[in-house]
Amino acid sequence: MTTRQESRFLILTGDGINCANETAWAFELAGGQAEIVHINDLLDTPERLLDFDGMAFPGGFSFGDDLGSGQVMALKMRHALGTELKAFVAKGSPIIGICNGFQMLTKLGLLPHPTRGRSVALAPNLHGQFINRWVTLERPSNSVCKWTQGLTQFDLPIRHGEGRVVFSRGQEKELYQELEQNGQIALQYSEDVNGSYAKIAAICDPTGLILGLMPHPEAHLFALHQPQQVQQPFAEGAGLKLFQNIITHLNRTSEVSS
Amino acid sequence: MPHVFRIETQLMIPTQSSARLLREARAYLGVELDDLISLKVFRISTESEPNTERIEEVFVDAIMEQVHWSDGLGTLDKAPVWTIEVQFRPGVTDNVARSAEEALGLVGINGATVATGQLWLVYGEVSRESVERVALELLANDLIQRIDIRDLAGTLEWNRFDSVRLPSVELGMLGELYQTHDHRQSVDNWMIWSQDNCWALSTEEVSHLRSHYASEAIKMQRTQMELPAEPTDVEVEVIAQSWSEHCKHKIFAAHIDYVEEALASEHTRVGSKKVNSLFKSYIRKATLDVERERNLPWLRSIFHDNAGVVAFDDAVDVSIKVETHNSPSALDPYGGAITGILGVNRDILGVGLGSKPIGNMDVFCFADPSWPLEGDEPAMPVGLKAPRRLLEGVHKGVEDGGNMSGIPTVNGAIFFDQDYAGKPLVFVGTVGVMPKQLGDGREGVHKAISPGDRIVMVGGAIGADGIHGATFSSLALDENAPATAVQIGDAITQKRAMDFLLEARDLGLFTCVTDNGAGGLSSSVGEMATLSNGANLDLALAPTKYPNLKPWELMISESQERMTFAVAPTDIDAFLDLASRRGVVATDIGSFTDSGLLEVLYNGTYVGCLDLDFLHESLPQMQLKARWEGPIDRVSWIDKDLRADPTSLSWFEKLKGLLATPNVVSKEPWVRQYDHEVQGATVVKPFGGESQQGPNDSGVLWLYPHGGAKDNAVSVGCGLAPRLSLYDPYVMAQMAVDEAIRNIVATGADIDQACALDNFCWPNPILSEEVPDGDLKLGQLVRCCEGLYDICTTYGLPLVSGKDSMKNDFRGRNGRGEALTISILPTLLVTAMGRSNVGRIQTSDFKRAGDVILRVGMPHTSFTGSEFAEHFSVSCSPVQIDLDANLVLYRLIRDALQEGLLQSIHDISDGGTLCAIAESCFGNDLSAVVTLPAKDEVLFAEGAGGFIVSVSPDKLEELSAKLDAVAVTWQQVGVATDSGSLTLNGEGVTIAELKNAWTREL
Repeated sequence: MTTRQESRFLILTGDGINCANETAWAFELAGGQAEIVHINDLLDTPERLLDFDGMAFPGGFSFGDDLGSGQVMALKMRHALGTELKAFVAKGSPIIGICNGFQMLTKLGLLPHPTRGRSVALAPNLHGQFINRWVTLERPSNSVCKWTQGLTQFDLPIRHGEGRVVFSRGQEKELYQELEQNGQIALQYSEDVNGSYAKIAAICDPTGLILGLMPHPEAHLFALHQPQQVQQPFAEGAGLKLFQNIITHLNRTSEVSS
Repeated sequence: MPHVFRIETQLMIPTQSSARLLREARAYLGVELDDLISLKVFRISTESEPNTERIEEVFVDAIMEQVHWSDGLGTLDKAPVWTIEVQFRPGVTDNVARSAEEALGLVGINGATVATGQLWLVYGEVSRESVERVALELLANDLIQRIDIRDLAGTLEWNRFDSVRLPSVELGMLGELYQTHDHRQSVDNWMIWSQDNCWALSTEEVSHLRSHYASEAIKMQRTQMELPAEPTDVEVEVIAQSWSEHCKHKIFAAHIDYVEEALASEHTRVGSKKVNSLFKSYIRKATLDVERERNLPWLRSIFHDNAGVVAFDDAVDVSIKVETHNSPSALDPYGGAITGILGVNRDILGVGLGSKPIGNMDVFCFADPSWPLEGDEPAMPVGLKAPRRLLEGVHKGVEDGGNMSGIPTVNGAIFFDQDYAGKPLVFVGTVGVMPKQLGDGREGVHKAISPGDRIVMVGGAIGADGIHGATFSSLALDENAPATAVQIGDAITQKRAMDFLLEARDLGLFTCVTDNGAGGLSSSVGEMATLSNGANLDLALAPTKYPNLKPWELMISESQERMTFAVAPTDIDAFLDLASRRGVVATDIGSFTDSGLLEVLYNGTYVGCLDLDFLHESLPQMQLKARWEGPIDRVSWIDKDLRADPTSLSWFEKLKGLLATPNVVSKEPWVRQYDHEVQGATVVKPFGGESQQGPNDSGVLWLYPHGGAKDNAVSVGCGLAPRLSLYDPYVMAQMAVDEAIRNIVATGADIDQACALDNFCWPNPILSEEVPDGDLKLGQLVRCCEGLYDICTTYGLPLVSGKDSMKNDFRGRNGRGEALTISILPTLLVTAMGRSNVGRIQTSDFKRAGDVILRVGMPHTSFTGSEFAEHFSVSCSPVQIDLDANLVLYRLIRDALQEGLLQSIHDISDGGTLCAIAESCFGNDLSAVVTLPAKDEVLFAEGAGGFIVSVSPDKLEELSAKLDAVAVTWQQVGVATDSGSLTLNGEGVTIAELKNAWTREL
């Protein structure tokens, strides 16, 4: 008989990250273990990262979005955690970046491709304003994303002022087509909410393990989170599925490898 | 030699931000621009030759931005006609620059200094004067920013990339540590000093101060400390802060001789009386009487901490506080609002041993943002921000303050009335949670300080910010003088301090904490010192933004994001170490004592010493006169009747008109810019239903994610009815309380487990030559308190926290140069919080076609103070409120929700019954067939205790039996449909048309 070790996730916090608590809760509700770690503590002992099975960059306003969303936090990580982060990605550890976390992942160059240069950025919303509303998301049928498997259409809230996906100037079409063909477009909005290229809401890397998304799955863990009336307030919300998916994936991988 | 240089970055992808500015320039300023492009400007000073690549890594996102290291204007396809350079004035907090310096350190460029700004390129053939107006009204605030306008030639000659300078504050030498003011000098002399130094001391207070310093005991004490016999400036400043209306609430503590004339029978008779403290006689008494009568075990901590604390959960205690930030917001709408919201967050952080903010609330009272209308400009007050600028700036401040801190904004209101044109009101509130018991066994609400505990200041460095609050004298700023009038909030510094505080609390590293708000260290240390009975601090230890601040400035500066902690000597190392690991500045500046004294030193030399009893307990009570003679007619300063004649209009024309008034119109576009669900606990959001457009009555915060029970939540709502102040402040107070309660009852709160907060904003109520009707205004306050007491004791509603702001008047001139005084409407904001159950909450939107619509509660018959009366000429009858009947109704609603009998519930407020029905249609894009007498009173009157509810046809009998059993007045008024038309007595109007009116751009 074997007892399966629960998957362990590092939830980054500090310097203006706001959503660490609910993100940790999401992993725990999905059956994982979550540890909220302050960025400065992680940078003190960067090798700790490799003790974890997965990692989350939660939403928030790291460094107040000064110099651009996610910019300073990405600098901090690139210069003090770059090696460990590369090793973490190389061993196939899943990473999710939500909202400000997505912005960090693109600034770090982990998305859309961890070993190529940057080609995507999250620009200020076309309408120029922060917006908080619930949106319907669709998963392209060819998506390779491991986090969103089994979902087709579901609702999550968006809460951002800089969530508009843009590509390197002059190469928009090619870059988009490549992502599209690779199945790296993880989610699209059902309507245009921020001017994002091709209504892109989420992008993953070619392995489908690194996901960056603007909507907040950790804000739809229970049915009662929805703005509409619900019959069963404590029924599972659609956002929980992403966290369950990745834990299932990790369990399956560990079964195969053991 | 440092290298000082400038770079500019430009976003290369289009946004609509400039389109909005162009539209506003056209609409509000009449300036027709072709285009407006902004560049970010960074002026950077580094110790060594800058590495271009590293600099660009920090400042530029190559995917969407372009960087300029030298002037590219000459090479642009299209040259601008004008440029506007906007830079912060010296000493103003530049948050982005601080982050940039930190980021430069990350890439190995240490010790750099940065200043940020914008360069606007202005296109279009417009005059310099027009560009100035655009700059001042839309792009910058010259109180905190320097604005330089140049034409193209001037811009090219300016050579801005060469000889770059960074702003710096250069104060004169420190010189003497203090000045003294001779207490033997006459009261008249002291009053002149008081005026010159913004002490705002009264003649009675000056006399009290003089006799204190004349006493032999004090003389001896001062000799021992090598202090002069005369009070030092440090001491007088601390006294002035401690005795200010803001800190001591002297008007609410005053002795009042109240005279009430014979009144018409419609008004509740209070009778002439002597009132010994409004606070003790009404506010505290209401709470104590309710507690005595109803035994409220859940009242945890009231009247003595930073906020009220209630126990609506077995594991966590909930705290709540509402503040105002009116004057700072009037000067700098954005800065005033963000410092307001961050300030009230710190109040919650400083409750007990630290509470976590879990929800923000905001209420604004402004003049109509479309004012001045064409031709009315000369009537407007001069020297104030236009109503729209206020609304936008304040809104943005609340948005950034909440969103960046990760605190959801869950409830609020915007109320418009012409009498707020002289002084806007900005109320900001926060709800917090803390564990009932900490890991080390201490109760969360427990604060204690032992002599010997260290005084630790946490947060940003001290500058001259906010010294003497917002005084217009600070407008006269020269280039190297610090901007002292206003403070800029820094959400990120505070977020770090907040995370640190909660972590340190859970590690048991401190014994007491409080906010450094108004009065700075003077207030925080001065108040904390009363817990141990003394404090001794050395101001030279405090970190400063720039050198040579004088000790008195250090003592009362209101530099933001600071809190003061008491830390046991055994924990001090761990406390300071944790702070340093979290990037938080914490400084040990002294110790608490039991000497009975507040001892203030600078580098070991005494600069002040004050007896705590003298400071806090000895102030003589003010003696004031008040009277009330009955309703007063509004005297409109705008001198214009904007009301229409309703007799020739159909019901739907009137309904559409009301739905589109500034007070009723949907605030959704504004509210959506607030994050209202971060932290994952907002169950009822500001707007709900399938369309997400149904306006909900209050916010509901789930306590489970915060450590509470799984089904446990709190509803938070607000109410205000300032227009009724003119009619009768007694009624105004009750209507405000009733609305707040209706709003939380509508989402499922239990009226028997609910508390309220009272926030008074009043025009100056002290009779003087300048305020000849001060006694009338104070009479209004007395009646307001009477009404508040009566409704709270009837509803069983304890007042757990409150605040007052008492001098909200504009005294100046209008555009014609005539003297103009605009006093705000006497305003009581009531915030209510009640316990609710997430399984039984309800929202305002009709859920299903076929559901039956009922109007429950006493019919409203009066237009007094209503939206209808504001827009249509109509006669107004007396207002009646049946408190006992309302209480029965609210309990019944609670039970009906508990039993799942209601499909929707929406409170009847602005615009009356028909507006409430229309609003209930919007959430799920439903409609209704309504049968009601087609009389304006029936459709549009306003009052207390009314709801529109919908009920499933199969539950109607059960519900009606319950209503009848307790004799609640109700009537079936219609049925929800999906026809797309609101039909009244057979005549229809499309919901689309109504929604269109209701969602017009404000």
